[in-house]
Amino acid sequence: MRYLLSATAMMLASATLAAAEGQLQLYNWGNYTSPELLEKFEKETGIKVTVTDYDSNDVALAKVEAGGSGFDLVVPSANYVPIWIEKGLIVELDNSKLANKGNIAPEWQDVAWDPGRKFTIPWQWGSTGIAVNTKIYGGDINTSAVFLEVPPELVGKINVVPEMNDIVSLATMYVGGEPCSEDAEVMKKARDLLLAAKPNWLSMDYGATERLSNGDWAASVNWNGSTMRVRLNTNGDVQYGYPKEGYPLFMDSVALLKDATNVEEAYKFLDFIMLPENAALISNFARYANGISGSEAFMDAEMTGAPEVMIPEEHKANGVFLPTCTGKSLDYISAIWTELQK
Amino acid sequence: MAERGFEISRLPGFATIAIAAFVILYLPIVTLVIFSFNDSNSVAVWGGFSLHWYADAWANDDVKAATMRSLIIGVSAAVLSTTLATLAALGTTRRKAFKGQTFIYVMINQPLMVPEIVTAVALLIFFGIIKVATGYQGLGYLIAAHTAFCIPFAYLPIRARLESMDLSLETAAADLYASPWATFRRVTLPLLAPGIMAGAMLAFVISLDDVVITEFVKSGGQDTLPTYMLGQLRRAFTPEVNAISTMLLGVTVVMLTAFFLLTRKKD
Repeated sequence: MRYLLSATAMMLASATLAAAEGQLQLYNWGNYTSPELLEKFEKETGIKVTVTDYDSNDVALAKVEAGGSGFDLVVPSANYVPIWIEKGLIVELDNSKLANKGNIAPEWQDVAWDPGRKFTIPWQWGSTGIAVNTKIYGGDINTSAVFLEVPPELVGKINVVPEMNDIVSLATMYVGGEPCSEDAEVMKKARDLLLAAKPNWLSMDYGATERLSNGDWAASVNWNGSTMRVRLNTNGDVQYGYPKEGYPLFMDSVALLKDATNVEEAYKFLDFIMLPENAALISNFARYANGISGSEAFMDAEMTGAPEVMIPEEHKANGVFLPTCTGKSLDYISAIWTELQK
Repeated sequence: MAERGFEISRLPGFATIAIAAFVILYLPIVTLVIFSFNDSNSVAVWGGFSLHWYADAWANDDVKAATMRSLIIGVSAAVLSTTLATLAALGTTRRKAFKGQTFIYVMINQPLMVPEIVTAVALLIFFGIIKVATGYQGLGYLIAAHTAFCIPFAYLPIRARLESMDLSLETAAADLYASPWATFRRVTLPLLAPGIMAGAMLAFVISLDDVVITEFVKSGGQDTLPTYMLGQLRRAFTPEVNAISTMLLGVTVVMLTAFFLLTRKKD
């Protein structure tokens, strides 16, 4: 095996090293990076960006933690950012190299999982809410009651996406608790409510974009980006509700790795994506909002002013970043979920 | 009339179970192939016949780069693992039984027994140390890893072939004063060739399909076709993934058919 290793290593010794001049290694979620953005960056700076895909926060974390990954920038989800910081895998950013940092929208300048935005730059964000066909149900859609205390018009016609954390958290917040609550009373209330609501649901399934569009479902707990496509498909019949009791937000942010070799190039890229016209390219490709002020003006027409992409002012305060539940709260959530799946 | 003895195909329900098994095995694949020709951008709602997802996949530079990478790794791993497997097969069959033979078999076939994720994590840590120490980030790691887990897949058909080969031809060659090398080159190797080819093809297909180990071992910019497809999960799948899968399926079927033709018993 050792001979084999050295033999292949010699064979491929001519392959380029990661730390070459004018290069940048971006480790990002698959199908999440706009090729147009990378082309523009290369044209302006001469730096060639190599993108490598991952499909879960855990894989990304494990690979970088093992060392020698060769990546410069990584894009973890909000609830994973504190883990990256705690493990010392990402470094505090040097703001003197980030002239455009002021472009970050005010609500994203200071976030709970990265106080003061010292470590990360926004990439994209979205929310989990409720998509409702307003031709079938004309009541208030900005409440979790739509799926937790199903109105008669929607009985047997509503779907719930099978995402444990999102669904149990929506129910916990509906009964007045916090996500990841360790309060047995609160969790019991959430459980009872979910179990009582379940017989009124049509299904617990993915694929909302198609099935809301073709009318199979009259409503569904769903993500904002998908609901925007449904609204366009149905000429506005299907609308997106932001539960006033609280709804989950998610955000993926770019961070600089401690063992990055192309540090100057990485700063150039971070500063580059904070220009509104460049941030808009990210959104136009992946169809989520990006957290940079003024980028909306450069987005595709269908995204400009879309209430799913830009949270209306009155709903902004109700969005919550779900923490990573651990210990007792995770036990409660798993138990409720198991019971709900029966 | 004479008793014909036990025959499984005469048991009640045989046909039903066989048909059900084939339907469960192949229906999902047929569905996948059908939807690769879907005109709409949904993987579930039919919108008319079209080849445009194949055109999209063909025009996608990421797909092209990932395919090239998969082929380079697959061919390298197949050649290396088959060479090693041939040596191992000769070493374990063309000699008297020796102490610890079973142990050696188990050692060689270790990748078949150990869960892939265990190998993946072990390689991640091991290669991590090497990457830090040497700074080398190339494809060598993936080729070494793929070679390692392809060895048993190449070894088994080669060993099976060797065991079914009569020793008398080799003995005859030796009797006629052929040197050991000449015997190997002129007698053993030609007879063994179908087994080696079959082993190499199996190794290539196994390398082409691998996800878990590749995902953990790959360095920057080293996505293979399967890890590229897995990366698409973050956003909605489009039939482009079906089109890529169908092409990958086509390659696998061709290779397996060749494997079957090369290894079938000549009655």
